[in-house]
Amino acid sequence: MKRTLMLLFPTALLLASTLSAHHSFSATYDTGKTVSIEGKVVQFLLRNPHSFLHIEVKDKEGKVAVYNVEWAAAGQLNGTIASSIKAGDLVTISGNPGRDPADLRLRMVNIKRTDGQSWGFDPGQVVN
Amino acid sequence: MKTIYLLVGALLVAGATIGAQVQTPGASPENGAGLGPMVAGTDLSGSWRPQQLVTESQTAAGDLADFGGIPLNDAARMYALSWPASRQTVKQHQCMGYVTPYFWYAPANYRIWEERDPFTQRLVSWRFYGQIAQGDRTVYMDGRPHPPAYAPHTFAGFSTGEYQGNTLTVTTTHLKRGWIKANGVPQSDATTVVEHFVRHGDNITVLAVIDDPVYLTEPLSKASMLVRMAKDPDAWLYPCDDSEQIFGRKSDVVPNHLFGQNPYAREYADRRKLPLLAALGGVETMYPELANAIRDTTAAENLAKARMMPSGPPAVSRAPDPTPKDGEIHTMRVSGEVYLLAGDGANIAVQVGPQGAFVVDTGSGKLADKVIAAIAKLSAKPIQFILNTTFRPDHTGGNAKLQMAGADPSVTGSFFSMQFQGAGLAATIISQLNTQSRMVEQKLPAPPSDTFAEDRRRKYYNGEAVEAFPMPNATTDGDSIVHFRRADVIVAGDIFTTTEYPHIDTKNGGSLQGEINALNFILDRTVYIHDEDGGTMIIPGHGRVTDEWEVAEYRDMLVIIRDRVQAMIKAGATLQQTLASRPTFDYDVRYGATSGPWTTNMFVEAVYTSLKNPPKTENAR
Repeated sequence: MKRTLMLLFPTALLLASTLSAHHSFSATYDTGKTVSIEGKVVQFLLRNPHSFLHIEVKDKEGKVAVYNVEWAAAGQLNGTIASSIKAGDLVTISGNPGRDPADLRLRMVNIKRTDGQSWGFDPGQVVN
Repeated sequence: MKTIYLLVGALLVAGATIGAQVQTPGASPENGAGLGPMVAGTDLSGSWRPQQLVTESQTAAGDLADFGGIPLNDAARMYALSWPASRQTVKQHQCMGYVTPYFWYAPANYRIWEERDPFTQRLVSWRFYGQIAQGDRTVYMDGRPHPPAYAPHTFAGFSTGEYQGNTLTVTTTHLKRGWIKANGVPQSDATTVVEHFVRHGDNITVLAVIDDPVYLTEPLSKASMLVRMAKDPDAWLYPCDDSEQIFGRKSDVVPNHLFGQNPYAREYADRRKLPLLAALGGVETMYPELANAIRDTTAAENLAKARMMPSGPPAVSRAPDPTPKDGEIHTMRVSGEVYLLAGDGANIAVQVGPQGAFVVDTGSGKLADKVIAAIAKLSAKPIQFILNTTFRPDHTGGNAKLQMAGADPSVTGSFFSMQFQGAGLAATIISQLNTQSRMVEQKLPAPPSDTFAEDRRRKYYNGEAVEAFPMPNATTDGDSIVHFRRADVIVAGDIFTTTEYPHIDTKNGGSLQGEINALNFILDRTVYIHDEDGGTMIIPGHGRVTDEWEVAEYRDMLVIIRDRVQAMIKAGATLQQTLASRPTFDYDVRYGATSGPWTTNMFVEAVYTSLKNPPKTENAR
């Protein structure tokens, strides 16, 4: 498992204040931290109000765990992204870690596929 | 509290005197009873948005363990401290609706309109629609009464309104358990909310008073402000669809913090440099006298720490029992042709149609004649089948009379019964095998003759698939549930009640884990219509009719209590030590009892016993 603590992204804070209608992101995630995971897409749950990506991640010992990455609403993602990301894709995702470590949860900041295609909230990126 | 009432009063006066849209005041006796007022008060119609500054401190975006200014009681505080945001990933919580007044704090669009009788133009109702969670409220203005206590609750509740001058005053009951603040501070299903709507030009002030006997020590007043939008925003939907958000999580996992182990309990107080006591809420945090309480910082800190653990005398349920006790049988249609008959001990369910009546449980038997009369009003055909969900006398006491009042034409005159005199001249009684055995052992009258053990018992009756499923080692080893599939009504028996902790009878094969499994089995069969409201309806063994939300809440409670007791057992605690730890503390105000046939201590003992020595078959399903 590649899990690197990264510097705070100002964009993460911006995100926290804009999409918090249904539940509290600041209560659910540590929005002051960003971590990165690398793994294989198990499932892309296109849902409203929040979509989820399940990512199979291997640690250095080869132990596999499935991370649960919360993303935007299906209404935002059901364009290009929905038809682009498939089970089996290899991706690198950075996001805010969940407050409950047992959930293996991240809130998506950005996602990059091995072919270089990426989406997210960094400057120059698009959500969909 | 005085200051808040003064504020409320001042705003009401303001609304009555300076509203730009003031019209002729509304209802008067000569308007005609039951028709609603001919002329309304201030017109509230239009598209609105909440004033953002108000919403930010009150919504789901609020801070963890920020309870200041809320007169919550000790149980509510413990409930909130055991709540992690991760709870929202549990399937039934993902699309939870919003109760009022939380309804008014969502940062999205609202529409208010009136509905008038097309023939008289009298005001029948106000409609409030909120975009987030697509909340859809109807406020009846025609003088109709609120439903009986055993009727279902919804997130919108049941509202009636009246004009007091130009102020619209709305009273709402039949609310589900929701949020006062979505950082874990609950608003109970016994709550009554009174809202006053005062319009000032392009603003509406909504002053709400929450009266919650379960979780608040005194009524809480909350204000919100709506701002009129000149143009309809053309964005009104908020679809929500639950999913397996946490991959691979089992259905009996409900995230919670054990008492005293919430890692974020101090976060808000520390960040805002507040004494912890102020952040933990309670009535004293509403008044200036709090300053005296926190002057001695050491004492305040010690008091705050004490408040993060169970203390005080045992609590009993503060929610009213919805069961009628007037000696009459009360009939209510639940869905399709399935009815609730309430008033004689445990709830009775009746399905009727062209073939006859299918009765689930028969009550205590004290009012059996009235039960038979009530069924006769629903069905001209006789009772053909009776199914007992358990052996307990409050569910089977009417067996003998109801059986003899019925008939089973499938037996009468059939090839198999010709040689038996009297075959089919009474209803056939069905149950899980162990229920029959217990009734025979205990010499209870009219035990079932038609049994099933591990497989479901099914019939196609009155044009509807009817399935009975055995629920191993739930409250006993003989429980079953019944699903009327076309009406989509599940009769849960004592596996689910809205009035008490589950009566887990370990001497007769009951176990906590079997009970949790049974509730999850029910939840695997339910579907809601929208945001945890409606759809599959549930008739509990005792209490009011519900849908899946209350079943999920009950399941959550039992899982959380299981986790607490399991932690005690793991630490080597005795039963007495476990009882002393008060593992049900935050739920006693809703379900607890210190006297009667099923006390809190008896329940905790059953939990402890069945976790230490679980029946081998509790996970059989």
